[in-house]
Amino acid sequence: MRGRPALFTRYEADSAMLPTITQRVWLAIGLVAVIGAAVWLPRDWLILIATAFIAAIGVIGLNLVTGYAGQVSLGHAFFLGVGAYAGAAFGGEATEKLVGMGLDVIFWLPLAGLTAGFIGAAIAPIAVRLRGLYLAFLTLGLVFLGEHIFREWESVTGGPGIGRKPGVLRLAGWRFDLDGQIAGYSVTREQQIYWLTLLVLIIMAFAAKNIVRSRIGRAFAAVRDRDIAAEVMGIDLTRYKVLAFGVSSFYAGVAGGLLFTVTGFVNTNSFNLLLSFTYIAMVVIGGAASITGSIMGAAFLTLLPRIIDGAGGVLPFLEVGSTGLLSTSQLERIVFGALIIGFLIFEPLGLNGIWMRLRNYWKAWPFSY
Amino acid sequence: MTATMEQRSPAESTKLASLPARLRALADSRPGDIALREKEFGIWQETTYQEFWHEVQAAGMALWQLGVRPGDKVAIHSENRKAWVIADLAAQAIQAVSVGLYATNPTAEVAYLLQHSEAKVLIAEDQEQVDKALEVESLPDLEKIIYVEPRGVRAYTDARLMSWSAFMGAGESALADDPHRVNGLVDTIDPEETATLVYTSGTTGAPKGAMLSHRNLTWASESAEDLIAAGGLPKGQPQLLSYLPLCHVFGRLYDVCGALAMGSCVNFAESIETVVADLAEIQPTYFPAPPRIWEKMHALVNIRMSDASLLKKAMYKVFLNTGMKSADRLLATGSRGFVGGIVHQIGYLAVFRSLQRKLGMQRCKQATSGAAPIAPEVIKFFLAIGIPLYEGWGMTETTALGTGNLPGSARLGTIGTPVNGDVQIRLGDDGEILIKSPGIFKGYFKNPEATAETIDEDGWMHTGDIAEYDDEFLRIVDRKKDIIITAGGKNVSPSEIENKLKVSPFIKEAMVIGDRRKYLTALIGIELDTVSNWAQRKGITFTTYRDLSEKPEVIELIQKQVDTANEYFARVETVKKFALIPKELDHEEGELTATQKLKRKVLVDRFSDLIEQMY
Repeated sequence: MRGRPALFTRYEADSAMLPTITQRVWLAIGLVAVIGAAVWLPRDWLILIATAFIAAIGVIGLNLVTGYAGQVSLGHAFFLGVGAYAGAAFGGEATEKLVGMGLDVIFWLPLAGLTAGFIGAAIAPIAVRLRGLYLAFLTLGLVFLGEHIFREWESVTGGPGIGRKPGVLRLAGWRFDLDGQIAGYSVTREQQIYWLTLLVLIIMAFAAKNIVRSRIGRAFAAVRDRDIAAEVMGIDLTRYKVLAFGVSSFYAGVAGGLLFTVTGFVNTNSFNLLLSFTYIAMVVIGGAASITGSIMGAAFLTLLPRIIDGAGGVLPFLEVGSTGLLSTSQLERIVFGALIIGFLIFEPLGLNGIWMRLRNYWKAWPFSY
Repeated sequence: MTATMEQRSPAESTKLASLPARLRALADSRPGDIALREKEFGIWQETTYQEFWHEVQAAGMALWQLGVRPGDKVAIHSENRKAWVIADLAAQAIQAVSVGLYATNPTAEVAYLLQHSEAKVLIAEDQEQVDKALEVESLPDLEKIIYVEPRGVRAYTDARLMSWSAFMGAGESALADDPHRVNGLVDTIDPEETATLVYTSGTTGAPKGAMLSHRNLTWASESAEDLIAAGGLPKGQPQLLSYLPLCHVFGRLYDVCGALAMGSCVNFAESIETVVADLAEIQPTYFPAPPRIWEKMHALVNIRMSDASLLKKAMYKVFLNTGMKSADRLLATGSRGFVGGIVHQIGYLAVFRSLQRKLGMQRCKQATSGAAPIAPEVIKFFLAIGIPLYEGWGMTETTALGTGNLPGSARLGTIGTPVNGDVQIRLGDDGEILIKSPGIFKGYFKNPEATAETIDEDGWMHTGDIAEYDDEFLRIVDRKKDIIITAGGKNVSPSEIENKLKVSPFIKEAMVIGDRRKYLTALIGIELDTVSNWAQRKGITFTTYRDLSEKPEVIELIQKQVDTANEYFARVETVKKFALIPKELDHEEGELTATQKLKRKVLVDRFSDLIEQMY
């Protein structure tokens, strides 16, 4: 009710994502700022941020299965790879050696997600029987299996060292991956990719937010907190674990399909264990079981190398040319490791935890609880 | 709405000679406005004025079909809820008399009230209340028991039982057959007839049933409008939170009389435990509360602020201090002054806005303390944090209205001035307040001796409160019968001392003793929430209330509170010794009245050993 934000006369209002006008206005301002930023951001930053958007989709997926449903997965790189190649096969150009159906992005992107999703759901029944460390090992195996398949299935992947182009960002003849003109204004390739990936992220994040606050999301949390107790309450473990892996893999597939459209090339050895770990790190640093945290974690770790690069000219011990203690890439790895350790020890709830604490400080004002 | 009240023609006002008639007028003039809200499964379900009046008519017809005729009594034994006001107004509409029972009334009191009132129909809330009525053996007048909540009652076989939905269903079909009967009965209501019986809670002796007429209630309704809205009208419809027992006049004054005067929306609290949460949701426009609620809110803010982080604490302290200063000025002149106003605005934005929202008082235009005396410090605290709290005084026998402090005409520690020109007040020879107003009740039901003792031949009502004048403001000294005369012959007012003690967040109950004794002592009950919080922080372990009360550290803590309170009084008025009551006082066990007032005689008997130890 107007002026009385906590007075609900309908369930729709009670469960609204943005119950107050203030929240809606702030969201609108934020959206306009993010969309408008593309106008003045330089090209390399646009690409970097677009990469962060895509990574965020993948991290949301991993967070659904690991953060919400509590099923540790080290196999996220495999599903990203499945998405990337399915996207390439459905949306790429055919050559004499390679499969390519040349579909529009509106078709191949969901198909990339679905392919990964089906494979995820197909593998899940095995995962249902395993827990914790054993499940981690099983999903680890997927990555090695995947690397092998990607190397050998040359008609789809192009084979090691050769690779192939990803799916083409084309919709009804319009190419998002080429500079163009919209209503008399020239728009660059990078701006278009930025907006397109932002749009996909918004849709996917909104969907995920709704999944986690629905019956499914609560079932996920119940399975995570104590699977036996969840089963006693009537939650079908198999069903929800399969669902968790399926949905998570769908998100990975979509992210994988988009990920290499930015660089324009997919290499078979991209989908290794390091990629899986990077995503796990994004979940941990962003905050497990949080959609906002997923986005923050993805943005933070994607932009980190760039920030460290920028530090190259400032910090005295960094290598300039061939002198100095450390190269920027060495520093990057050290910071990466230190961040994971630091977050696990000091802020297990991640960036989202910091945000929540900040918010609660103001929410409780002038009390402290 | 004020304007429409003034413009009302005399012919029209005869049509408003009862509360049901007022409801009917509202249903005509603003049918779509929300009249009632009741929370069900987390959502506030709304009833418009049109639906409200329709349901009242249906319930009236249902009562009529059950054989209720003008003058018959309909008892309502329930917490505040929609069915309460519907049953109340339905009974009045068919010229019957409603009688409210407290949900906390134990079986013995229920038996007394049902027998004494000769109730023909009982509206009982749930199994608990139904059980109480069924336990009573001789109720020759009671013909029907309507239960509102069917849970647990379905299997009962008593022939008198009937469910609320069946009752309303019967009423609906009767209304369809005979749509004009209730209207006709409402038109022919005699304003001098009894509309409702309000049983006084009875700190001494058995409860007495005060007969309030339709004229009493409509006068209260008219006066309440000016009084309740003295702090200003809101932009939209006024919102009220109904949580004060409706069987008490204080609650009735706001939630029925006041609501029908202003066309307000009455929101029913889920239960007494959820009032704090409901307050934050409803953010009522006008909020009446007894001192106990204000004391508790004051204690809550103190405790929470002492746990707050440094910055928050510091800001709160700064603005509370400035607020206290401007509150003095506000009381003296009616305004905080230019500088004080600006500082208060800054404080409002920085601290008080969110504090008020947490307390549910952000949209409160006028808050009232009544039903018992309140400590001036508490009022000043609320004024300092920007909540316009003023004290009023009234009694069941005056239809809740007597005197009141109003913005611009207030003095701390007094009960203010007569609420309007209709009220005449003079002090008797012994300082007793004598009052004459259109709100004076008809008399006690079946008790002409008590009536004669209360209303003298000239129509003055003897209130039993001793007061003195402070300029034009009245200051209550104490209840006539409570005044202590010490062995030294000194007259002491215990309630003043007790209230000073209860300002401490650690003290819940205090009873000063000293009649015909050498010095004053006190029985003190600790506030479990705050004292246990204090004990936790001091690392004192305890198990029960009794155990906590007996800790030497706690006794020391209370001694400090007593010493602080003693500083305000002359030497003969200080509390020399005190004893902590080893249990929480309870209505069920007869130590408190339904309105949480001390039953002094019971306490003196029950804790005589504790008292004797102090002398």
